Amino acid sequence: MTDSQPNSTIRRDDALWLLRRMRLIRQTSERIAKLYPTDVMETPVHLCIGQEAVATGLCHHLRDEDKLFLGHRTHGPALAKGLPLEKLMAELYGRSTGCSHGYGGSMHLLDLEHGLPGSSAIVGGSIALGVGAGLAAELGAGHFVGVSYFGDAATNAGVFYESLNFAALRALPVLFVCEDNGFSNVMPKSEHSAHDIVGVASQMMPTASIDGTDVLAVNDAAGRAVSRARGGQGPQFLHCRTKRWMKHQGPERCDLIEVDIERDCPIHKLERFMASSGMVTPRELADLRSAIESEIDAAIEFAERSPRPDPNLMEA
Amino acid sequence: MTATETRPGVKVMTMIEAISDALRTEMKNDDRVVVFGEDVGPKGGVFGATAGLHEEFGETRCFDTPLSECGIVGAGVGMAVYGMRPVAEIQFLDFIYPAFDQIVSEAAKMRYRSGGEYTCPMVIRSPYGGGIRGGHYHSQSSEAYFCHTPGLKVVIPSTPADAKGLLISSIRDEDPVMFLEPKKIYRHGKGEVPLGEHTVPLGRARIARAGTDVTLLAYGAMVPVCEAAADAAAEQGRSVEVVDLRTLVPLDEQTIVESVKKTGRCVVVYEAPKTCGYGAELAAILAEKCIEYLEGPVVRVAGFDTPFPYTLEHLYMPDEKRVLAGIDKTFAW
Repeated sequence: MTDSQPNSTIRRDDALWLLRRMRLIRQTSERIAKLYPTDVMETPVHLCIGQEAVATGLCHHLRDEDKLFLGHRTHGPALAKGLPLEKLMAELYGRSTGCSHGYGGSMHLLDLEHGLPGSSAIVGGSIALGVGAGLAAELGAGHFVGVSYFGDAATNAGVFYESLNFAALRALPVLFVCEDNGFSNVMPKSEHSAHDIVGVASQMMPTASIDGTDVLAVNDAAGRAVSRARGGQGPQFLHCRTKRWMKHQGPERCDLIEVDIERDCPIHKLERFMASSGMVTPRELADLRSAIESEIDAAIEFAERSPRPDPNLMEA
Repeated sequence: MTATETRPGVKVMTMIEAISDALRTEMKNDDRVVVFGEDVGPKGGVFGATAGLHEEFGETRCFDTPLSECGIVGAGVGMAVYGMRPVAEIQFLDFIYPAFDQIVSEAAKMRYRSGGEYTCPMVIRSPYGGGIRGGHYHSQSSEAYFCHTPGLKVVIPSTPADAKGLLISSIRDEDPVMFLEPKKIYRHGKGEVPLGEHTVPLGRARIARAGTDVTLLAYGAMVPVCEAAADAAAEQGRSVEVVDLRTLVPLDEQTIVESVKKTGRCVVVYEAPKTCGYGAELAAILAEKCIEYLEGPVVRVAGFDTPFPYTLEHLYMPDEKRVLAGIDKTFAW
């Protein structure tokens, strides 16, 4: 288990990539929260504001062919992995141009081209699927790693242990990423888990526990873990401590935690780092924000003018 | 509680309030009744069924569990076998599958495999069904799996008063009961509910609407749909009887067979996928018990044989129009 230090030697291009993805996720989430009460989206939404660094730092090291299996809090990791924004938005609007053709909704995002084979609304439901992808790769299906991405509450489900055990026994190219936001809906971790997640995982495989609000730390640890999994060194576990600023579901802020922007905001921390090391000017940061706003406007427009799915498919 | 008292001993409540009232009533009546599940404690459940119980009865009587359905049900079985009256909540019926093994292999078989030495008096409460735009995993009607498992009882209320009376009866029952709550009508309309002691026996159907020309068999959220269809059919001069099954297991065969013998026509309405749904069993029973009285085939108006559709929910759920078309079919024969 390591608590890695942020890599202050990161290149400007890489830092910009991380910033752009995190801003895309944040601003998209904020827009969804704003639009959601108007009822244009026919789906429950689980937002990930505050948690952007985990998926972003991870996906910086994943290739399109790597398979990322998600739970119910999907928007951030899917965008980080490369899901085009307009396909996400159309899916939330329930349109046939959505990434799951309007049949999935927020919790079931699919993009085979970008290695998003699917996500499950059942907590813990897709952990074993990442193991299966790793096993498929091991048996010759291709050169990729399987990634199981889940939250702290999923570690209470039996399938979590079954999956880690099997992946470790077979030394599969699998990455387990626990996005630990400390809550199972409204239950704090102290009330839902007697076990220590890192303790359990590290019995079976190399495990790193990282400040998941520090994207450079995640980026660093994910880089090492992905490269070991890819290099035949068996499954790896990343435990990322983060904070969920919003309620479990819906557009409202969570009143169970305190957010300190200086301490907790991954975007603020990266921007501060980049500004102080001369990587970006305030003007560039503002331009990035408004460019992303325009992207979101365009994606919403695309969703709004897209048709709904064909009901006749139901009779198939 | 927002319910209002209309006359002594009765309050007007929503179904969710009636469920809450049933739990409170039984927890007061019987110290062995213990309520647990994900978020049922201080939060009071995602739909509010357990609101206030943690505060009123304390942590030993109403408490949160980790997200582990298999463990929740398994622990409930152990408690039931050793003298408690556990009432476990599974947050959505769609989440129950990790617990399926404990339900089917342990709870359901406890009485039989012990030669009657042990029973398993536990209730598993779970919201089920569509109607809240919850998508694939917050909308399914999987009652048939449980009806197909000998050893379980399956109860589904359609009114606030029945929700209370049936839930209390379920808690008092000696066998494991799947108490499935039609979340679509949790807060749709209110009804009078007796305060305090109120039970409705398991295995007794309710004639929701008397009629003479055709029988509609329904349960849960499909009962109000059938009542609306009955009203519309009355305008066309057809007298429709609506039977609310209330309990799928045990089934009140006598009431449904008598109704169909009287009307000679039957439409079974359920929102689960059509194939191997509970309606198939009802059609088979009618064929066995009263085929000579039928003026036409038993018609099923059901969901479609697909996973629950997210954006197409309004087309998937049987509605008044589809029920009326089903009635037409029985007359077209």
